[in-house]
Amino acid sequence: MNKSLKKKLESDFDSSVEILEKNGWTITANKNQVLDILRFLKGEGFDYLALISCVDWIEKGEFELIYILSSYLADKEKMHLILKTRIPRKKPDFETTIHIFENAEPYERELHELFGVNFNGHPRLEPLFLDRNYKTPPFRKDFDTRKYVEETFGSIKSVEGKK
Amino acid sequence: MGSENKSQKKTNDKPSALGPFKAIKFLFKKPKTLRYPFEEKEPSPRLRGFHLNDWDKCTGCGNCDDICPSQAITMVEIPEIKAEPGKKNERPRIDYGRCCYCGLCVDVCPTGSLRLSKDYLHIHFDPKTFTSFAKDEKSDSEHFLPEEEYSIFKANLSHRKQNNDGFVSDLKYSLFEPERVKMPHVPLDERKLSFIEEVIGYSREEAQIEAGRCLECKLCEDACPAHMKISDYIKAIYEDDAERSLKKIFEDNPLPSICGRICMKHCEDACSLSIRGESVAIRWLKRYTADQVDDFQKALRQKSAESTGKKVAVIGAGPGGLSVAYFLTLKGHKVVVFDSLPGGGGMMRMGPPAYRLPITSIDKDVEYIASLDVEFRFNTTVGEDITFEDILEGYDATYLGIGATSSRSTKVKNFEKCMLGLDFLRENKIGEGVKVGKETIVIGGGNVAMDVARESLRLQHIQHPNEKTVTKTVSLENWNEMPATEEEIEDSKDEGIEFNPAWGPKEVVLDDKGDVKGLLCKKVKKVFDDQGRFSPEFYEEKTTLLEGDMIIEAIGQGPDFSFIPKQLMDKLEFTERRKVKVDEGGQTSISRVFAGGDIVNLNLDAVTAIADAKTAAEGIDKLLKKTKR
Amino acid sequence: MTERELEMYFGPQHMGMVGNFGITLTVKGDRILKAKANPGYLHRGFEKLMELRTWTQNSPLVCRVNVMEPHSMEMVYSMAVEKLAGIKVPMRAKYIRTLTLELSRLASHLFGCWAYANMLGFDTVAQWAMYHRDLILDLFEDFTGGRVYPIYIWPGGVRRDLPDGFKEKALNVLHEIRSKISDYDATFFNNKLFYDRAKGIGKISQEEAKNLGGTGQILRGNGVESDIRKIEPYAAYDKIDFEIPTREGGDAYSRVWIIRDEMIQSVHIAMKCLEQMPEGSVYNKVPNPFKWKIPKGETYVRVESSRGELGLYMVSNGGDKPYRVHFRTPSYPHGLTILEKILVGENIADVGNIMISLYVTPPEIDR
Repeated sequence: MNKSLKKKLESDFDSSVEILEKNGWTITANKNQVLDILRFLKGEGFDYLALISCVDWIEKGEFELIYILSSYLADKEKMHLILKTRIPRKKPDFETTIHIFENAEPYERELHELFGVNFNGHPRLEPLFLDRNYKTPPFRKDFDTRKYVEETFGSIKSVEGKK
Repeated sequence: MGSENKSQKKTNDKPSALGPFKAIKFLFKKPKTLRYPFEEKEPSPRLRGFHLNDWDKCTGCGNCDDICPSQAITMVEIPEIKAEPGKKNERPRIDYGRCCYCGLCVDVCPTGSLRLSKDYLHIHFDPKTFTSFAKDEKSDSEHFLPEEEYSIFKANLSHRKQNNDGFVSDLKYSLFEPERVKMPHVPLDERKLSFIEEVIGYSREEAQIEAGRCLECKLCEDACPAHMKISDYIKAIYEDDAERSLKKIFEDNPLPSICGRICMKHCEDACSLSIRGESVAIRWLKRYTADQVDDFQKALRQKSAESTGKKVAVIGAGPGGLSVAYFLTLKGHKVVVFDSLPGGGGMMRMGPPAYRLPITSIDKDVEYIASLDVEFRFNTTVGEDITFEDILEGYDATYLGIGATSSRSTKVKNFEKCMLGLDFLRENKIGEGVKVGKETIVIGGGNVAMDVARESLRLQHIQHPNEKTVTKTVSLENWNEMPATEEEIEDSKDEGIEFNPAWGPKEVVLDDKGDVKGLLCKKVKKVFDDQGRFSPEFYEEKTTLLEGDMIIEAIGQGPDFSFIPKQLMDKLEFTERRKVKVDEGGQTSISRVFAGGDIVNLNLDAVTAIADAKTAAEGIDKLLKKTKR
Repeated sequence: MTERELEMYFGPQHMGMVGNFGITLTVKGDRILKAKANPGYLHRGFEKLMELRTWTQNSPLVCRVNVMEPHSMEMVYSMAVEKLAGIKVPMRAKYIRTLTLELSRLASHLFGCWAYANMLGFDTVAQWAMYHRDLILDLFEDFTGGRVYPIYIWPGGVRRDLPDGFKEKALNVLHEIRSKISDYDATFFNNKLFYDRAKGIGKISQEEAKNLGGTGQILRGNGVESDIRKIEPYAAYDKIDFEIPTREGGDAYSRVWIIRDEMIQSVHIAMKCLEQMPEGSVYNKVPNPFKWKIPKGETYVRVESSRGELGLYMVSNGGDKPYRVHFRTPSYPHGLTILEKILVGENIADVGNIMISLYVTPPEIDR
């Protein structure tokens, strides 16, 4: 059963499937095909979206979007699938997946705020956690936390004096 | 996730409005509230509270500073503490506004001096008091009070309890590994029959595991006389980059194959892991790097600077001479090295036995230095083949790396029948060979005497197989005073050498034919006087006869200045310990003559000679750049 | 009299709120029309902080993500590092980890009882729950060294072995708690007032719960028997027999009753661990903390915390620090999407009730 799923993913969609361990697969896909793959996997029974995440590969100039899926069904609940795709860092635009998985909404809002990824079609892309405006979205690799603290709060004297 | 709609046991909803009245029974029970601070609860024996530090055991290594995830610990210099090899004069100071009481500093402390106590209260108006040195009752009895004087209402970082240890270090759960990877040796029965090199060496995996133990505290770098970059080259071995490791070694020491086998390892004695475990095997890792890289030239790619046109003469191709040649040729000067032996290495070539330092290892280092355009003139004795004045005339500067090459003698009656220790070693290693008797006596308790005795044992097995042979040593010093290293004494005992400590030589006894029959010895009263100077006293009447048919004297060696003519010898100044006096650039009192090594320093080992050579090379370079000739 | 639409802040400082979390309610009269969650008061930026510290230095940082239940955070971090680096854990350490996690689940459920009972006004039961939680915190202080932040489970095993005399102490505490459940039942769980206030409130159907990514008590309150301890067993859970309590109804009443049933199961598992614990070592030493590098790779591991599925996605770049760390916390979908859906049509007076019955913890949402 799993073999046929793997074959189908590799042949119908332009993706490569790697088996990390017995029940954990990694599917690397082209960014144009991600929504089709998600719809297909939901039809196959993987109806539980656990996490949407993002990794900043600054040296390659790319963001990597991660979708982690699992299932509520008894025969598939042990598995988790990691779907990966890459988008360019200079212009990080992507489609929203809310119409496929309803609970994707806060995850996409968080990624928009912390990494600067645009999700077209999202109804409510407003700030979730942060209350200031940051020139660089703070979770990117070129955001220097120490420098930001010194620039923003450097005029306030510290109690214990300079280290 | 899971099966659908499988209802379990039937739910028995029995809501009742009268049930809660059962709680009234608690009205008559004793309340469980703790009336703090009048009642106190004893904290658990493992509570993580404020820090304690034993300033006698603490070495100032700084590992706690490096691992703290909140950067709460700073190492501060304390001028009252004297720095010595293995101990820095810094102590940790902790900022309790940042500390998260995780205890990682306790788990990484190699000595176990840093602990966490069961105190956790600090109430004060002044925020500056939240930063304090970690001390304990041994060094600070004012702030650590006994039970009767302690009051919880005044609890403070300056008002704490004595004997209040909480979370302490435990070697089974520490973040470092106290045990060393065992170095494989040739088995005892095999190695005492031949001169095969007894240390086999680390494999690549073993070297990586051993290099992974280093905590990068750099106490070893302070203790090494040449201040080599030890933690950097060990890190390169861990990352499987032997060439980078070799480059780091060659910045301060051009003789890794030699030092990796016979160095006196001051670094390992200072290593912070040696306090509660075994030190990192720094010497064996250096040996691993030198053996792992086959072609030094290809790995190092060193090029000399532009030629300066100046010439330097080096007398003696020992560790000091070879190093000075290496450092000066890289700076662009032309160097010529003179030595009376047929190859390089000096004392290293003729002294240590082949089972500790084979000739091939020495030649590997010397050939690399020769490839950097250093000219070697072997079999050339200064004073016979070329005079000292000619050298002073023909070269812009001279370096004396002559070492201590002439053996001393006890000068007892019939001492001419004995052999001198260094002659025995040299003849055996690079000369014609020596015939040993069946019962050899070696006079002396130092490393050279151990070398002589172990070589004699092997020669006896080779030259008199299947016969009963024995090698004995006799020394003035008793067991705890012997200058030889513990390793050598243990190995000699394992191989079957008989020791006779605390006896002094009185007379060599001959038989009717005039051959050696034995050594008459007298009992030693004491060796060192009250100031620690060598001045032995004996019980002249208590004597014993040690039987033997060959006696070798290995009681010490001194330098041979016979090649220096008298008028220059008068100008040469000596210190009160009878060493050549040099300034901070290595120059002696004779102009343009520099010196280093065994004739200058008191350590008398190879790595200190290399350190002296580096200083002298910079002094020579400075002098040559000033003079225009 | 016409009713106006008002916007009301069920703000971060409120009697009915656990932690700092705001909800903006649009109300008309007493009914809620729309709810909008306002997280962010506890955002500490853990995921960025963890990229600047080495693998060993991250252990004291991880337990601070969720204040109510720090042990499951440490467990999930250790599991991820052990998977990426290929480290094996000794058997005794697995049993000790199971014991620790169950004691932590018990302490967290008692804290939940305190919060819920306090919210509804049952002060007596709240104080009992706090007292019993204090007994468990004393146990933690005994064998880990810290009451709230233990820093005990780390990659390679656990940090120290159990002290002498611990087994008797722990069994005493567990017996005490187990015997008092009947008092809790009489005063709180079987109380008619509690039944009236919680039955039918905050109802969510199974379909909706699955669509919105719910896990933990939300699913089990709808009759679905799902627990990661049975699906993908970790530590020593595959060696111990236990049941997963479920209920029908899907409302606040069934969710809180599941908490009570889980407490009984936790006591049972903890006692079994103490009986069956094997001998042996508890820690396999990991490489030198200043030199430890983990090969390239990525992994996703998950654990059943007291609130649902807790997962960690970790990426390593071959260096000595993590490259990316992302916690999948159970309160994230519960507090942001499910809460906003459930509150529509409820009374203002029930907001705190519903929020605590969903078992939402704000530190987990913000990280």
